[in-house]
Amino acid sequence: MEYFSLKRSTAIDGGNANLSSKVYVRSTKSGKVQKIVREMYLRQDIPCSSNLCRACLQIAPIDYSKKAVPFVLSDTPAGSKHFLNGQYLVPDTNAFLTGMDLFEVETAFHDVIVLQTVLEEVKNRSLPLYHRLIALTKNEGKRFYVFFNEFRQETHVQRNAGETINDRNDRAVRKAVQWYNQHIAEAQAARSKKSQRIPSVVMISDDRDNLRKAKADGIPALTLSDFVSGLENGNDLLDMISAAQERREVRTGKPEVFYPEYFTMSRMMTGLKAGAMHQGIFNVSPYNYLEGSVHVPAFDRSLLILGRENGNRAVSGDVVVVEILPKDQWKAPPTKIIEEESLNKNDNPEAEDGENVSSERERRALQEEVKRVHGQSTEGRPQPTARVVGIIKRNWRQYVGHIDRDSVRSTSKTSRQQQVVFLVPMDKRIPKIRLRTRQAGELLGQRVLATIDSWERDSRYPFGHFVRSLGELESKEAETEALLLEWDVQYRPFPKTVLDCLPAEGHDWKVPASLDDPGWRGRKDLRDLLVCSIDPPGCVDIDDALHARQLTNGNFEVGVHIADVSHFVKPNNAMDKEASQRGTTVYLVDKRIDMLPMLLGTDLCSLKPYIERYAFSVLWEITPDADLVSANFTKSVIRSREAFSYEQAQIRIDDNSRQDDLTNGMRVLMMLSKKLRQKRMDAGALNLASPEVKVQTESETSDPVDVQTKKLLDTNSLVEEFMLLANISVARKNYQAFPQTALLRRHAAPPKTNFEELSSQLKVKKGLELRTESSKSLADSLDLCTDPNEPFFNTLVRIMATRCMMSAEYFCSGTQAYPEFRHYGLASEIYTHFTSPIRRYADLEAHRQLAAAIDYETLDPSLHSKAKLEGVCKNINVRHRNAQMAGRASIEYYVGQALKGKNIIEEGFVMRIFSNGFVVFVPRFGIESLIRLRDLASPEPEAEFDAEEYVLRVKGSVGREIELFEKVRVKITDEKEESTGKRKVRISMV
Amino acid sequence: MAPSQSLQVHLSPAELSYLRSTLSQTPPIRLDHSKGPRDFRSMRAEYDVLPTANGSARIALEDGLEALVGVKAEVEKSQCHSPLGRRESPPTISPGDVSMLDGDDEDDAGAGGQNAWVELSIEVPGFRDDDPLPVFLGSMLHETLVADGQLTHSLYINRRFHWKLYIDILLLSPPLSYPLALLSMTTHLALLTTRLPALKSEKDEDPLFDDDWAAAIPLYPNCKQSGSNVVNKPPVIVVAMAVGENIVFDPCKEELAVADTVLALACTASPSSSTGARIVGMRTIDPPSHLTPPGIPNSMNSATGGTAPTSSTSALTQRELLANSGVWIPPRGGMKRTLLAQVSKMVSEKGGIGEEVINALEGIEVG
Repeated sequence: MEYFSLKRSTAIDGGNANLSSKVYVRSTKSGKVQKIVREMYLRQDIPCSSNLCRACLQIAPIDYSKKAVPFVLSDTPAGSKHFLNGQYLVPDTNAFLTGMDLFEVETAFHDVIVLQTVLEEVKNRSLPLYHRLIALTKNEGKRFYVFFNEFRQETHVQRNAGETINDRNDRAVRKAVQWYNQHIAEAQAARSKKSQRIPSVVMISDDRDNLRKAKADGIPALTLSDFVSGLENGNDLLDMISAAQERREVRTGKPEVFYPEYFTMSRMMTGLKAGAMHQGIFNVSPYNYLEGSVHVPAFDRSLLILGRENGNRAVSGDVVVVEILPKDQWKAPPTKIIEEESLNKNDNPEAEDGENVSSERERRALQEEVKRVHGQSTEGRPQPTARVVGIIKRNWRQYVGHIDRDSVRSTSKTSRQQQVVFLVPMDKRIPKIRLRTRQAGELLGQRVLATIDSWERDSRYPFGHFVRSLGELESKEAETEALLLEWDVQYRPFPKTVLDCLPAEGHDWKVPASLDDPGWRGRKDLRDLLVCSIDPPGCVDIDDALHARQLTNGNFEVGVHIADVSHFVKPNNAMDKEASQRGTTVYLVDKRIDMLPMLLGTDLCSLKPYIERYAFSVLWEITPDADLVSANFTKSVIRSREAFSYEQAQIRIDDNSRQDDLTNGMRVLMMLSKKLRQKRMDAGALNLASPEVKVQTESETSDPVDVQTKKLLDTNSLVEEFMLLANISVARKNYQAFPQTALLRRHAAPPKTNFEELSSQLKVKKGLELRTESSKSLADSLDLCTDPNEPFFNTLVRIMATRCMMSAEYFCSGTQAYPEFRHYGLASEIYTHFTSPIRRYADLEAHRQLAAAIDYETLDPSLHSKAKLEGVCKNINVRHRNAQMAGRASIEYYVGQALKGKNIIEEGFVMRIFSNGFVVFVPRFGIESLIRLRDLASPEPEAEFDAEEYVLRVKGSVGREIELFEKVRVKITDEKEESTGKRKVRISMV
Repeated sequence: MAPSQSLQVHLSPAELSYLRSTLSQTPPIRLDHSKGPRDFRSMRAEYDVLPTANGSARIALEDGLEALVGVKAEVEKSQCHSPLGRRESPPTISPGDVSMLDGDDEDDAGAGGQNAWVELSIEVPGFRDDDPLPVFLGSMLHETLVADGQLTHSLYINRRFHWKLYIDILLLSPPLSYPLALLSMTTHLALLTTRLPALKSEKDEDPLFDDDWAAAIPLYPNCKQSGSNVVNKPPVIVVAMAVGENIVFDPCKEELAVADTVLALACTASPSSSTGARIVGMRTIDPPSHLTPPGIPNSMNSATGGTAPTSSTSALTQRELLANSGVWIPPRGGMKRTLLAQVSKMVSEKGGIGEEVINALEGIEVG
């Protein structure tokens, strides 16, 4: 009987298999478990990418233009103490996991070979680190090369029977290093007969077993710290190694445990599916670091998580799984301000023994809370509390903070002794971070960037490592960078790939003169319309321009012309990707971080006066009563006649001697906008208020000079009305054309519970009623919330009401039902953003959709895909919020700087009352600040807090009552806040 | 059940009569005269032929019969008792979800599998899957596999989940002879090499598995390696036939055509000792010999001077009388008790056929 086998024979090419396979088990989301076999074709044409090697140049695969990818690794790599002939580094997975910040240092770590085995392991272990590693490999200066060792025949390693995956991967790394060394030596020999300088290929690993085996095989290998200490500024760099690794070795067999263990993943999954556990994002209250909350889909209200033990090592922002505590442990949310700094001043970062999770003082503070709550009946009803039982995803990022002076033992700058210090993050919701550093003396008084590496059960605070110093505390550069980092704003200059997407003509680009030019295809020539733009003074990125003229039938033609950004930014090129990442332009007091490169934002797209520009126009026919007759959309070419500031425009409209067509057009716009506004208000649009101030800076140094609240003119609302109208018209059109994938913006109606507190406060204190059934009734009742003696009271209520609202968000129309599209604040059924494509990515997408809706161009597939659009929306929602926060933080910093050294008495209003302090809002500067009882007098006076009447009766020498909404006179000084290192305005009672 | 036409042999009554008389000699002379009554046809076997299956095997017999078996396992939710499932209905805040923490000592020990957890499908070339042959073969194999409850027991994951085993049996060649034994042996070998991903979760949680295939656990742990005394092997069917007083194992197609009776014996390794085998099932199979045309003796043939029987009943009576005359008449079936006992003994005794087959299949190392 002739014998044959179904199995693939390995004997075909003499045992030198060019085919291998990988077997693993894949568990799918739906619970299926599959055995997966992946075949791998091994090849010999993967180059070593060293410029020393000629042989690999011959075999390297070429692309369609017959060019091979240029080689990465230098032919004269830098040497070190151990390897004088220069070295190529091959770090293993743990080296990257623990030392990623080191590898990112510009001055060291060049010529690194990233093995595919390592890259894949890094990806499995930590996605953020993987992305950083990928970014490194794209950085030309760093010369990182990804070598696909698993696909190269010589370096492929088959897993042995009984070998663990880790051992196999370690062996693969060693094999690759061995091959590289041999290969480089051969290459050098082929280059010059009398080669004397052969670079070593060095494995970097902290695994002792791996190092031992490497030594046995004669493979050059070093631990990361050994290698770093051989470098010039080794001591400083050593701080940047992640703490996680070291700790594991230092502390062995020390079973003292402070936090409960996390549940296993499968147990959490089971619990989640069964509804016994809940998943959500862990948020810490900015007023009380011991109070966390998790909003879970199952309940309307967030679940409370009180105390460190229940928080169980979750850091604000983490995705956690919680379990609800038994009812007898339910509590009311604390009404007390608890700040970490005041309770845990005397913690010793070095001390590990005798640590309690909740320190004695913390526990007492919580106990008092509970007692108080139990004594109450109606107001402080106990709320469901929960505890964290596991973490689905850590959202640890890099945190900006400063070193706690009290935690530093020796402040000598020369001492290189390693010590453990606390980093106090700027964000109060983040716990102190333990850092191990040798440069504590130098870091004092600096803004420091650090990351969290681990939080073990036996440590009260998380362990992290130093990344870099941003500069002196309070210096403008350091503070600006700090707030950009804190709000995750991408502020690096645009990479070359993005700039390559700009038009080649640069600033000389013009609208083509010939109407036959392809740029004119489908464009209307609107150059003879009397268009003008109205913007804040000094505005350079002019998004929008307007015109109005009377038609023969008595109606008006009104046009809104928006910069045609989508003409310059094509979908899916590098510039588009960068813009979609950035999501929005961020405005700081003295700085603007652009979404698009300057050339586009401030020149080619900007609708500058007197020049022809491409635009996307919305043209309406409007009756004199401001009723819409028709709306048309077209790509166009316009020539703006004038760029006004709000004030200039106002003056021109008010000046009756000006009777030219342009001014008359503006008067028509003004008349129509007032009618439009009235209609909107009648429909129930909210007139909300947020404290907006403007910091005046000296033009040269941009040092703050004065703070003013922003003035609003009629022309502001003129522009606003027509922008709203354009946005609504475009939203309708886009939704009609793409019912599933239109990018829209919604503002959900706030749940009733959000207003409960404000409404009861108004009722108790002022006898006013806040009706919240609809936006209309809210708007009406807000109008009635006045105090004849206090004109500002109404604004104060509006500010507080605004804080009860939901935030508006971008969404993809297919993900919501039509009634959910509603924009609550604007009282519009449907809304989108269209009018600021230079500074918002959402508007750019809306432009593309509108262009497709009017058959100007075909829609890019990415705008057809609901999933992709949802991703875009999610990102820009976050970016939008962060940009706002960064802007506010910037103002806050500058207000602080402007008031530096000043001592002003101002009027303020009590906005919120706690049992041991209250919050005062000062309208003049748009600032609010906390006044604690202990700030009133020392020792801290006794006080009685009446939560139902919103009164805090301070006893003792102070002897006064603090009421909600009360007008108080306060003294404004500035101080450096101990806990965050920020210069902050300090308000104290007069 | 009568094997269908393709299994019929086209031999003349004289040839059948010759075959039968050689087989009933002592010792019997088989069609392949080099083989004794206990000898199996030689075979080629290999396992792990299907890379993506949890277990697989292929066996080719010398007469060209060839089978391929793949075993796939899927996680399935258990229907009957799911303690968490019941709790799902009122979505209230029940703080203590304790069922997972409960000891499950008694419950688990008693938790048996269900026969439905093993699904078996047979593909025989030239047959629809609802034809009698594949259906009969399928149910025979299935009932054998689940007979001792060992297989389904090892498919139990926890109270809420279990493995579902899909055994796909493919006869690669036309059914040249009765394929039951071959299919059973191939299935046996495939199950022997089947591995299930290693479980990482505990108790009644949603199962979570180790993604390392090398850590997968064999469905039938190798007793020599694991060192446990309890031998657990998938059952295997051997086919035996009786001709007169003789018992012949693993009959070929022609031999079956003269069998008095055919027996399918399902045996498995005996649980206590490592020798001998335990019979878990036995079935008689209607042999194809019943359908063979009878020879016509001279006395009944008018052409040779006999008298043709007037009715079919008289024909039957006349044939009965001529039973031992050497003229072929299809056997009537039936088996003597002693013969049955003898077959059972031959299969189950120490060093018997059952043990031999099981050990031989386990001994296969390289395909």
